[in-house]
Amino acid sequence: MTMLKKCLLGLATFAAFFTFVSTSQASEPHYTITTDATYAPFTFQDKNNNYVGIEQDMMQAIAKREGFTYTMKPMSFNSAAQLVSNGQADGIIAGMSITPERKEVYDFATPYYKTGVAWIVKKNSTIKQLADLKGKTVALKTGTAASEYGKSLQSKYGFNVKYFNDTDTMYNDVAVGNSAATFEDMPVIQYAIKNGMKLKIMNADNPSNAGWYGFAVQKGKNKALLAAFNKGFAAIKADGTYNKITAKYLGASQATFSGSKKDNSTVLGILTANKAAFLKGLWQTVQLTVIAIVLASIWGTLLGVMGVSELKWVRGVSTTIIYIFRGLPLMVLAFFIYIGLPGVTGVKIPAFTAGIITLILNEGAYTGAFVRGGFEAVERGQMEAARSLGLNYNSAMRKVIMPQGLRIMVPSFINQFIITLKDTSILSAIGLLELTQTGTLIVARNSQGFRVWAIVAVIYLIVITLLTWLSNWVEKKIK
Amino acid sequence: MSEAQKKVKVHVDKVNKSYGDNHVLRDISLDIAENEVVVMIGPSGSGKSTFLRMLNQLETQDDGTIVVDGFDISDKKTDINKVRENIGMVFQNFNLFNNYTVLENIMLAPVELGKLDKVAAEKKARELLDTVGLADKADVSVNSLSGGQKQRIAIARALAMSPDIMLFDEPTSALDPEMVGDVLEVMKNLADSGMTMIIVTHEMGFAKQVADRVVFFESGKIQESGAPEQVFNAPKNARLQEFLSKVMHA
Ligand SMILES: Nc1ncnc2c1ncn2[C@@H]1O[C@H](COP(=O)(O)OP(=O)(O)OP(=O)(O)O)[C@@H](O)[C@H]1O
Ligand SMILES: [Mg+2]
Repeated sequence: MTMLKKCLLGLATFAAFFTFVSTSQASEPHYTITTDATYAPFTFQDKNNNYVGIEQDMMQAIAKREGFTYTMKPMSFNSAAQLVSNGQADGIIAGMSITPERKEVYDFATPYYKTGVAWIVKKNSTIKQLADLKGKTVALKTGTAASEYGKSLQSKYGFNVKYFNDTDTMYNDVAVGNSAATFEDMPVIQYAIKNGMKLKIMNADNPSNAGWYGFAVQKGKNKALLAAFNKGFAAIKADGTYNKITAKYLGASQATFSGSKKDNSTVLGILTANKAAFLKGLWQTVQLTVIAIVLASIWGTLLGVMGVSELKWVRGVSTTIIYIFRGLPLMVLAFFIYIGLPGVTGVKIPAFTAGIITLILNEGAYTGAFVRGGFEAVERGQMEAARSLGLNYNSAMRKVIMPQGLRIMVPSFINQFIITLKDTSILSAIGLLELTQTGTLIVARNSQGFRVWAIVAVIYLIVITLLTWLSNWVEKKIK
Repeated sequence: MSEAQKKVKVHVDKVNKSYGDNHVLRDISLDIAENEVVVMIGPSGSGKSTFLRMLNQLETQDDGTIVVDGFDISDKKTDINKVRENIGMVFQNFNLFNNYTVLENIMLAPVELGKLDKVAAEKKARELLDTVGLADKADVSVNSLSGGQKQRIAIARALAMSPDIMLFDEPTSALDPEMVGDVLEVMKNLADSGMTMIIVTHEMGFAKQVADRVVFFESGKIQESGAPEQVFNAPKNARLQEFLSKVMHA
């Protein structure tokens, strides 16, 4: 029991450490702003892996004028919106259309861009009108106003709907013909087509559901930020900065932001052009993996030990924890911890910490299950022999059963390490810039899905191979 | 040398045990004196192992009383671990600790239970290895040993706690025939040294040679017990007669 307490304490300290380290204090007001970095020309990553676009340039200009600083957090639109609505982040600038429903949850600043919804098909598609979509699949992005509009037409035109988390994957699904059509905000799709996406807008002259994009904060909160945004926006509108920014992005060619054709048309070119980004993503993946492997192994072993306790209630606690966290999909758990919990507790959790906790709970549950199984697999006679000598249950476990059980478990541990490495990719959903999210952002910029994902896949395979070698080496050492 | 004058080491009174509908032990009562060697025989499934394992509470009784060395181990409040330190047990399948060397197997319990320090425990372990004729195996892994060697190590491991009662559950049944002699010899020496021993075995020759008393189990009951000459040469119980005719002519 004291061992259990120690471990729990350790975990708590660890979590606290991450929480506090990342909350720094500054004299100027500092805000956390979320965005969706797959949304060119409003927000995307340029060839130097900086976040650029109309929204980013606007935000910088406004912040400079109004004397505040901010951390920009790119993630999926849905996560970006939820983090603001539950108070985890201060504001969102992510091509968010102002709608009556959203006004219930957010306070919007002065709208910064007029938009409307386009409906889009493959370049040489035979589809002529919405009625042709009957029985076909339409790709929509989760949580956007354009997708709401598309969805509202579903019953009328009888199409099926398939949801995506980022813009680029959705476009590609239509471009390769998996989906027949999609709905998207007009300027975004115009920019994508201009930059080589093989799609066709069907209603360029009369966008449906015309509306406005707005910067938003949680309703009733962050009044100072909202006021500063409005003041700054009025100023950059008045002095022509705003026009310069929009002209810069809407007028520019693809190469300006996404890199030269040469860089993008070969695997080597992409690799060299994005070396820094890939390395950063890889490093994040490795950090997540290593920390999660160590802590999940400790937590899982503890759960396994509890699972073979002499006390019935301790076994019950272990079984319940394993049952819950093995049953929850990793992404649900990540969203729950990162987006759900802070809304209730009011304590902000950095994405990295949330990711680590998610992995500890999920991988730890699997580890706990095979650790318990490993202990149970040790021959009954070993326990009887130890007890017959006068050892109590705990000594017998510690001295005889556990060392043998752990040896049986070595292959399961190695397997779990590899699963953990792969599972880190799911954490891209909460905006962690690990390898997969890095790939998403690069594809969003250069539309080279095949080459970029091939590179990402190979990097994963290399890391998995190294991890397997290392584990096998350790396994041999143990034996 | 009548039994009444000797100290009672094990006192069993009206013990019952059932597994579901299977009434395995029925009202068993038995007293075993200090230095006595009792051999238990009987057909498979008659309850010998269950009874033996109850004497150190690896199995628990449904009712009845078991007193060992003056401790009522059928009472839940008794610290069974303390009593077990005084009762060695040898299993059919050896159950040596796979994660330790021979020497570590023998040293584990005395050191872990604070009975001996490491140096004393090692000295004792080496003496015991010498006694069982395996001094040269001190540092090998237990998996490299033959069955007969394993069983002699298991006996040494039990003796390391200096118990004054030893329980044996078919110690030679899992051995190749040529290994049986070595183990029985160690057990015989132990008996000669005055150890109180309770042995379940099918080795009738050995039973005749070392037993002070032979107890015949059948259907969860002690059907007959007595000196080996009497049990083997003049069995009164019909089931014992039948059992003996089977095993003797096997
Ligand atoms: N853990 C258990 N659960 C259920 N039944 C059991 C258990 N252990 C023993 N039994 C049953 O109790 C009865 C007595 O078993 P026990 O092992 O004591 O017999 P034995 O005389 O030692 O036989 P053998 O010579 O085959 O070892 C048998 O019918 C057996 O199936
Ligand atoms: Mg038996």
